[in-house]
Amino acid sequence: MAYEIKREEKEIFGNFKPELIPDECGGNIDDYEEALHVLMKFVGSMSSALEQVSGRGANAIVYQAGKRMGHEAGKMVEKTDDLEKAMQELSEILGAEFYFDMWKPEGQDGYTIEKGDETVVKLIFRDCVVRQTLRRTGLPQKGPLCYLLYGYTVGAVEEVMDIRGKLDIDHVGPNACLKTLTIKWSGK
Amino acid sequence: MELFNTTKFFHNLKKVLRGVDMVEIEIDENACVGCGSCVDDCPNDVYEMDESKNKTKVVNAEDCMACLSCHEICPAEAMEHKNIHVAKRLYIDRKVNDIIKKII
Repeated sequence: MAYEIKREEKEIFGNFKPELIPDECGGNIDDYEEALHVLMKFVGSMSSALEQVSGRGANAIVYQAGKRMGHEAGKMVEKTDDLEKAMQELSEILGAEFYFDMWKPEGQDGYTIEKGDETVVKLIFRDCVVRQTLRRTGLPQKGPLCYLLYGYTVGAVEEVMDIRGKLDIDHVGPNACLKTLTIKWSGK
Repeated sequence: MELFNTTKFFHNLKKVLRGVDMVEIEIDENACVGCGSCVDDCPNDVYEMDESKNKTKVVNAEDCMACLSCHEICPAEAMEHKNIHVAKRLYIDRKVNDIIKKII
């Protein structure tokens, strides 16, 4: 007698033809939550394994992956030379995954600081899917997966402003992370 | 010269509407053990030690970016932040939470 796997869920039966385009994903919200959690755990384990195998090289791999995503996202935004305008537009595009704002201490006049041929701006990342994934899998912050966000932001800024940039992590917390974005005008 | 910076105006308006500029921090003095962990951990020097009471006091609330590192490090859970952006918590397992709620 053939063994049959028993499931609580009811299997969905229907017809399917190759040319049919499904008009909805199907399933209920609990399925998506479950899928999201599995995906988060998978990404977390992958990041951890990458670090174990490649050491610091893991950061470079994840950074490149993020940068590629950032360049793609940046293509949806109008090109500009104004850093504050670029940040405003990018926060609207990246907002679903990474909700960020420009940040400055109360005593500072503007968001940007000019340092020779560099412009520096502090960014505060409030909602971050990377942070959530790290907390889901119990991994420390500032690890390789944070480089995904690093690459993503830098890639998007480079695409929008056609310039070279870098992002440094100032502080990480459970509810928000502060980063410094530096752009080099001479890299244009 | 641009007299009115629309980008900055809408950015600030968004922050005010969301209440990010009006962070309030309350320290429960009865709970605070005066370890000073929050003073050391805060990147924006929001806290200082009140030497006379040996408790933490808030001295620079307007610079608080609501990272909540202080919440995580405080052994007494003595602080409360009001009017902050609470990050989307995608990692909460509702099934586990339901079980915990039944126990607590």
